[in-house]
Amino acid sequence: MWTRREMVRSMVAGSAVLPAILQHCFADTGDALAPRAPHFEPKAKRMIFLFSSGGVSHVDTFDPKPALIAAAKAGKKAPNNRPYLAPFWEFKSESDCGTEVSDLFPWIRKSMDDICLIRSMRGDHNDHAQATLGVHTGSVTFARPSIGSWVSYGLGTENRNLPSFVVLAPALPYSGAQVWSSDFLPGAHAGTLVTPGADPVPNLARRAPTADLQKLELGLLDRFNKKHQIARPGDPRLAARIKSFETAFGMQMEMPEVLDLSKESDATLELYGLERGSTKGFAWQCLVARRLAERGVRFIELIDVGASNNWDAHGNMKTHEPLAKNIDRAIYGLLRDLKGRGMLSDTLVVWSSEFGRSPWPDSPEGRNHHVNVYSTWMAGAGVKPGIAYGSSDEMGAKVGENEVHVHDFHATILHLLGFDHTRLTFRHAGRDFRLTDVHGHVVQPILA
Amino acid sequence: MAGFRLLALTAVLLPTLLADPVPAAPPPDGLEFFEKKIRPVLARKCYACHSAASKPLRGRMSLDNREGMRRGGASGVPAIVPEKANEGVLLPAIRHTGHLKMPPGEKLPPEVIADFEAWIKMGAPDPRDGKAAPLPAVYDFEKARRHWAYQPVKDLPPPAVRDPQWSANGIDRYIKSKLDEKGLTPAGLASKRALLRRVTFDLTGLPPTPAEMQAFLADTSEGAYEKLIDRLLGSQAYGEKWGRHWLDVVRYADTAGCNSDFPVPDAWRYRNWVIQAFRNDKPYLEFLREQLAGDVLPYKDDEDRQAKLVATSYIALSRRFASNKTEHHLTIDDTIDNVGKAMLGLTVSCARCHDHKFDAIPQTDYFGWYGIFDSTVYTFPGVETFPRPHDYVALRGAADQKRIDDWETRLRGVHQDIRFLRFGEGRFRPTAREELKKLNAEALSIEIAPPDVPKAYAVKEGIGRNARMHYKGDPRIQGEEAPRGWLTVLGGGTIAEEIGSGRRQLADWITDPKNPLTARVMVNRIWQWHFGKGLVPTPNDFGVRGEAPSHPELLDWLAARFAESNYSVKAMHKLMLTSRAYRLASAHIAANAEKDPNNTYLWRANRRRLQAEEIRDAMLAVSGQLDPTPGGAHPFPKLHEWTYTQHRQFFARYDHNQRSVYLMQQRLRKHPLLELFDAADPNASTAARSESVTALQALALTNSEFVHQQADALAVRVGMAHSDTPSRLQHAHRLALGRPATPLEIAQGTQYLLSAKLALKDSPLPDEQKPRAALASYLRALLSSDEFFFVD
Repeated sequence: MWTRREMVRSMVAGSAVLPAILQHCFADTGDALAPRAPHFEPKAKRMIFLFSSGGVSHVDTFDPKPALIAAAKAGKKAPNNRPYLAPFWEFKSESDCGTEVSDLFPWIRKSMDDICLIRSMRGDHNDHAQATLGVHTGSVTFARPSIGSWVSYGLGTENRNLPSFVVLAPALPYSGAQVWSSDFLPGAHAGTLVTPGADPVPNLARRAPTADLQKLELGLLDRFNKKHQIARPGDPRLAARIKSFETAFGMQMEMPEVLDLSKESDATLELYGLERGSTKGFAWQCLVARRLAERGVRFIELIDVGASNNWDAHGNMKTHEPLAKNIDRAIYGLLRDLKGRGMLSDTLVVWSSEFGRSPWPDSPEGRNHHVNVYSTWMAGAGVKPGIAYGSSDEMGAKVGENEVHVHDFHATILHLLGFDHTRLTFRHAGRDFRLTDVHGHVVQPILA
Repeated sequence: MAGFRLLALTAVLLPTLLADPVPAAPPPDGLEFFEKKIRPVLARKCYACHSAASKPLRGRMSLDNREGMRRGGASGVPAIVPEKANEGVLLPAIRHTGHLKMPPGEKLPPEVIADFEAWIKMGAPDPRDGKAAPLPAVYDFEKARRHWAYQPVKDLPPPAVRDPQWSANGIDRYIKSKLDEKGLTPAGLASKRALLRRVTFDLTGLPPTPAEMQAFLADTSEGAYEKLIDRLLGSQAYGEKWGRHWLDVVRYADTAGCNSDFPVPDAWRYRNWVIQAFRNDKPYLEFLREQLAGDVLPYKDDEDRQAKLVATSYIALSRRFASNKTEHHLTIDDTIDNVGKAMLGLTVSCARCHDHKFDAIPQTDYFGWYGIFDSTVYTFPGVETFPRPHDYVALRGAADQKRIDDWETRLRGVHQDIRFLRFGEGRFRPTAREELKKLNAEALSIEIAPPDVPKAYAVKEGIGRNARMHYKGDPRIQGEEAPRGWLTVLGGGTIAEEIGSGRRQLADWITDPKNPLTARVMVNRIWQWHFGKGLVPTPNDFGVRGEAPSHPELLDWLAARFAESNYSVKAMHKLMLTSRAYRLASAHIAANAEKDPNNTYLWRANRRRLQAEEIRDAMLAVSGQLDPTPGGAHPFPKLHEWTYTQHRQFFARYDHNQRSVYLMQQRLRKHPLLELFDAADPNASTAARSESVTALQALALTNSEFVHQQADALAVRVGMAHSDTPSRLQHAHRLALGRPATPLEIAQGTQYLLSAKLALKDSPLPDEQKPRAALASYLRALLSSDEFFFVD
């Protein structure tokens, strides 16, 4: 097996012109992923976005509502004439900050001193596909670039052997691949989907019959392309394309290495609650996320479940239990691990769902979608740890204080990554588009 | 925002609300209440930004006089509506319950908020006379019409140039005079080989065959090049390539785009109609008219009528949204967005929520169009909560239409009953389960036997009526009626009540030869698809935010020629392709590159990467695997198998070896190979493809099954045709690159095959297959090379 370094060396050895030309050409426009400085010194160099599909009930997880319990017991009805439905789990605190979290998340509950909880989120659409797009692109209707694509567009990448925006998901979410689409931004900023299992990235595995043959073949291609390029000076695309094969080969070598967890210690696996050899569940996703973060990937998104059998508990809230179990320990492990490695100080970790769930029932044991108020949280670089910001009203039906709209959420994330959200723009179809459209305010009180 | 007077902030319309703007004399204690409780708060908390003294006056909202409070600011929504506490923007703003939160950064005490509510409920007595600040005039249309794109097309003779011999036609005189003016020296002519490869890809999306290359090189007659153009323009492949360009612009897809991405089994008819229209050189204005109003245009015969009905699929193919039927306004918006951009190069849909910020398109104009499409019935593709289609258009006349309608009505009825039993009150019936079972069986029996008649996913005339405007684009909050009509900046005009939807009138306006935009926009597109960049670099935006043309006089001259040829696209091809400018080499000239690095003035040809479909089609063509048969319908699941939801979206791939334009194209997911190479996003109009370079592309070329299959097929193709290595290599080079291999390349290639066989020594392949595998390896490199991927 050839290592990447040997490979590159052999390709370069094939012709003496490569390095100088490449250096020169990559200063040019051919390279959408060249590293770029944001608008100001950022607190976060990268972001890990944890997304739970289906709508996680805020009143059963991060937003304790004693009044809701009382109202349900007393048989009171909501203004829409539905009875109230009490939370299904007990709340308590296990952290110095005192923030109460329900028994659904016993592990995350221990991490609340590292977490900045937001209990006053609000979105624009009460349906999964639209709300999921809203959280990812700022638009609940029209196709727009994903937040990860915006970050890639703004920052470029530090590691050319890996994509700048990676999505780890076991199944397609609502709205499918639109969730990580670069839309009108250059295609290099689209998220690369990595799925657990045998074929994590399409076309990643060598198909040439032997490694030696592939090496020869790439060398031949390199010679073809350089001969072609020398006769056509002044075209950075040609150099970029030569480079892309080198990067692809780097990815072919490095991605399996990232996904190979065999060198992780037992203690680390234990921390995440991951069984050795398993690629199942959020624990695998979280550990791979840390490895991608270590290697310079700018935006890593983890989606826990797909568009079905998810948190969409219309019929039975108890279906939250296995889903919570899947992510609880793993997230705790991720935060602890990042902290232990000194990475939490420059990595922003954000958790969200597309909306919360209604304080009233949709069926005797289930709740409906609820976008008027729900909970999310951030942790790590630049955010105040151990606080709970904003509130819902006493029943968890509406925002009480300090509303954080999805646009504000995006503005704040971009701020932490070093961007003025009003200036991270792309000219398309006659106007400058941005993630926050014409809205959004940075939520100053949660900044450290 | 003149013209938009909001009638009510709530979902309910209260048309009488503003009928009496003169306040009745308030009770004296009301005035006292105002003086004590309201005025001091306004003065202390609001006047800084909202009074005659404020600079600037925020939101143009005056709160220091009665008129201002009741009229509202720039949004046209009143601050308060006397007696109606749940209307007006002031109360929600001070309660902090909406987007707007006032005063900034603080919340008034609850008792103060209660005072305001009480005051409004008592009729908002207010003694302050004063005048509200005038609202800004919406647009100065006279001034707006001075924008270059709204000016009439000027047909001036091409300029005189110093060396007239250089120019092959009028285009060249415009180009050359600009080059001279900028001090740029044009490149020499492209080689015959380069030119043939360029023009063949440009017109057909396929590489020239070795035989075609040989014939063209051998033909030294004067008219050889024109003959070549005629041959290419006459090919089926021409329609497929240029049809694909138009499908980009109209964001064609074979699925609806709703949350479940329902299939649209009859979309293909429109795709083929477009391809055929280009093949037949349908005059461009006619091409547009049929798409907008084919169903209400006169027709020659039955075939003509059917084609015209299919053409209106253009409108029905607008994107669908959500999981229910509540968001049709977004589909109409998508239609307006596309008609504006595709046909006029205007971003009309920007005026959905507010008057256009840059172009002189008021919201009333947007809703003038909205009414037209709201008076049109679109075929409904099905959506999660109403999973069966309706309003299909029969292609063969009334008897067929009746069969379709009857079938749809029966199906609709059964599904209504099913919905009632599943989600409605019916679910509480003790017999619900049994009834449901029976109904499902009945639905199945209807669904498995749809009327076997050809039908189109198209549009029909609805009831012609004007639409009310939507406050900030929200259809729940409706304002004044906007008369259906034409854009004011282009001359305006309204549609009489009695003549149906008004699509035909809209088509007349758009295709009016005096309309300065339509022809310009299309010749600019044709130019872009030949020269790599439009004379106007923003082909979907000719408005003030678009970029100005690099050669405005040339653009007009072309538009005039277009009109002269009765809008023949093929004549326009010929004009452009026979210019010298088109035939220039793509050579690098350092001195020019300094002055004009982007080649704005066309001192050389623009090298271009093959587009996604061209990459796939060219590989198939070279490997001998391309099936040239035109595509038809896709093998979608049968209607009774449609159980799509947003949780389980429709997803399928129907691969074949026909041209890529015939691949089934979904809105929510894309073909993996085509997507990698920047294929059009079918969710929005694509005016110009991007040319990204990514590592994932390289991975696909190195490791994908498709590329390996084509390289292997090519190895077999040249292996069967020749018995010796040099001839095989020679043949492969001619097929893939359109040129023979040099002796050095043959020698190096032969050497490569020996090394490759050695590199295969550890492979489990049987020895007799190793030469083929070695050759395939060589060919993979060839098919991935820049020389294959770029057109000089």
